Amino acid sequence: MSTAPSAAPAAPPRTAEAVLEAVDIVRVFGAVVAVGGIDLALSEGSFLTIFGPNGAGKTSLLRVLAGGLRPTRGEVRIRGKKLDFGDGEWRRRIGVLSHQGFLYGHLTVEENLRFYGTLFGLTDLSERVPMRLEEVGLADRAAFEVRQLSHGMRQRVALARALLHDPDVVLLDEPYTGLDPYAAAVLRNVLVALKDGRRTVVMVTHNLTEGLNLADRVAIQVAGRIAWEGTRSELVVDSFERFYHRVVEEAP
Amino acid sequence: MSEYLGQVRAIVWKDLILEFRTRERVAAMGAFAVLAAVLFNYAIDRTAVRPQTIASGLIWMTIVFGGLLGIGRTFHLEHEDGALQGVLMTSAPKDAIFLGKTLANFLLLYLVAIIVVAVFTLFFGLDLGPRLDLLAAVIALGALGFVALGTLFSAVSSGTRMGETLLPILVFPLLLPMVVYGTQATGRILAARPAAEVTANLRMLTAFALVAMATGAGLFRYVVEE
Amino acid sequence: MSLRGLRLTGTTLAAVGLLLMLTVYGLSFFWVPTEVAQGVIQRIFYVHVPAAWVAFMAFGLVALTSAMYLWLRDERLDRAALSAAEGGMVFATVVITTGPLWARVAWGTYWTWEPRLTLTLLLWFVYLGYFLVRGSAENPERGKRFAAVVGIVGALDIPLIHLSVLWFRSLHPKPVVAKPEGPTLPAPMLITLLLGLLAFTLVFLGLFLLRYTLQTLRDAADARDRRATV
Repeated sequence: MSTAPSAAPAAPPRTAEAVLEAVDIVRVFGAVVAVGGIDLALSEGSFLTIFGPNGAGKTSLLRVLAGGLRPTRGEVRIRGKKLDFGDGEWRRRIGVLSHQGFLYGHLTVEENLRFYGTLFGLTDLSERVPMRLEEVGLADRAAFEVRQLSHGMRQRVALARALLHDPDVVLLDEPYTGLDPYAAAVLRNVLVALKDGRRTVVMVTHNLTEGLNLADRVAIQVAGRIAWEGTRSELVVDSFERFYHRVVEEAP
Repeated sequence: MSEYLGQVRAIVWKDLILEFRTRERVAAMGAFAVLAAVLFNYAIDRTAVRPQTIASGLIWMTIVFGGLLGIGRTFHLEHEDGALQGVLMTSAPKDAIFLGKTLANFLLLYLVAIIVVAVFTLFFGLDLGPRLDLLAAVIALGALGFVALGTLFSAVSSGTRMGETLLPILVFPLLLPMVVYGTQATGRILAARPAAEVTANLRMLTAFALVAMATGAGLFRYVVEE
Repeated sequence: MSLRGLRLTGTTLAAVGLLLMLTVYGLSFFWVPTEVAQGVIQRIFYVHVPAAWVAFMAFGLVALTSAMYLWLRDERLDRAALSAAEGGMVFATVVITTGPLWARVAWGTYWTWEPRLTLTLLLWFVYLGYFLVRGSAENPERGKRFAAVVGIVGALDIPLIHLSVLWFRSLHPKPVVAKPEGPTLPAPMLITLLLGLLAFTLVFLGLFLLRYTLQTLRDAADARDRRATV
């Protein structure tokens, strides 16, 4: 059974132990309003999937949550503490997977991971890096330069990079895009493993099936605002596609 | 502190390895050095002026122009895969990132400077004089200030539509102290003047380098912020 | 103060300044004695020096407001920096155009590498850099920050540049010593110069305030357009 989209977005539950909060986030680029006022609150262990058409500002929202983009207005809070978007220890707690990859093509897989690991101040890289590579099934490609890898493999390396420092907040921007079935399966397994109760995950994706399966909270973002938000249990998979299209069309 | 140094070192290492594997910048800068020297030879009327007299100025200007070529590309590779974004989102302080990039650029530029000096010595029969260590110090200090300014403004220019063409406009006016004190010191060293005549210049070059690095480290975070 | 108040103050200051400027021009032609060595052309001093004073003072204002803008992120500070930069660049242009004119008539050559004039020329280019990064930035918000950085670095480097130009000059003395004024300024010259400084400063401040209000209105209009499209 699907519920009709509410006229106003359902207010997110503000629990005392919200790990990640976005308060009235607005982000403007020149004349374009990418994010027009979004509130979110996620408790520990929750997995939020954000769907939405292209240009809805999902990537901008994610970048703000990741501390990579300063909002024009509004705050991001991690465990109650406001993010100052400068330097800080809080960056150690966030892991980001972007469709950009953040990898240096001319460095090997291992060099990339070791580089980022050092930037995160990790000292046990000799154990950690092989472990993460094992997780994404690329242990045998450690010495390959990233530019020699296929897109799917590159995304797997990027995933290993995102999780290298064991973050409790994981942000994923369209991770399924362009993945071959094997890579998608690896991604799915890793994401399922992330639902261990202590990590908070926000994923933006166009993949309605995967996104819905993993989520316990779902949001649909249209034109910079959240047009619908609710729990997974309020939705049913086979009619979700229709529901999604309806929400997108009816958004103001 | 050791984490900070480790982060700086990681960035220096990464930039050097990337440069070594792509050879993008060193090749351009090195070729420029040699070709510039060749052109200078034909641009100077040897009956009117001895190259040795103006060698110092020519050397520094070649280093500046060639150096700017390479420095302008500092953030080029970073933009290709959005890697700079990834680096900025790590817990490495922005000033550490700046220092790492500046040091990597410094090492590359110093290499180019050595090539320039060698080429000019060869082509114009220069006598480098007894104080090679002083010469090395003068070039190092000048290069450091230059590279700090260049790296900061390279980050600025890579965020503009004009890109690298903006770099000379931004950097050249501010480079005057390096040009004045650097060329004078170098000229004196090449003329085998006593070391005492160079100390004032060394002091000013150090001041310039320190101001440039401190300013760059402090302001870099505002430049890279989106 | 309200926008209206600022505009009024700006207009008043500019008007007073312009009147004072006319007075200074009058004085410089009819009251002040002719300088012995250079002749009539020396009177350009009363335009050249005040303009230089304003150009540098304006840049100090640019640097200060830029630094505060980066710290506080208040758009008003950025608008102030922009307004000061525009005014400053205009006056810097006056300096580097009157300088060669003066030099040509007084000493026969257009450019003598006089330290202060050279410094102003470089300052002009820093101003140019300020506007170029502001205008060509892919993201206008970043453009403001880029410009602020140019302003701050420029201001920090200007003293060093000044020292180096003087140093260079001290070792390469020119046959003709290009001193804009004589050994000491007689009273009429001093008074006229000071009045000139005041006049130019008032004009700058007036233009600054007017430019600031203009920019505020422009930004408000842009914001309204933005809201309309949301």
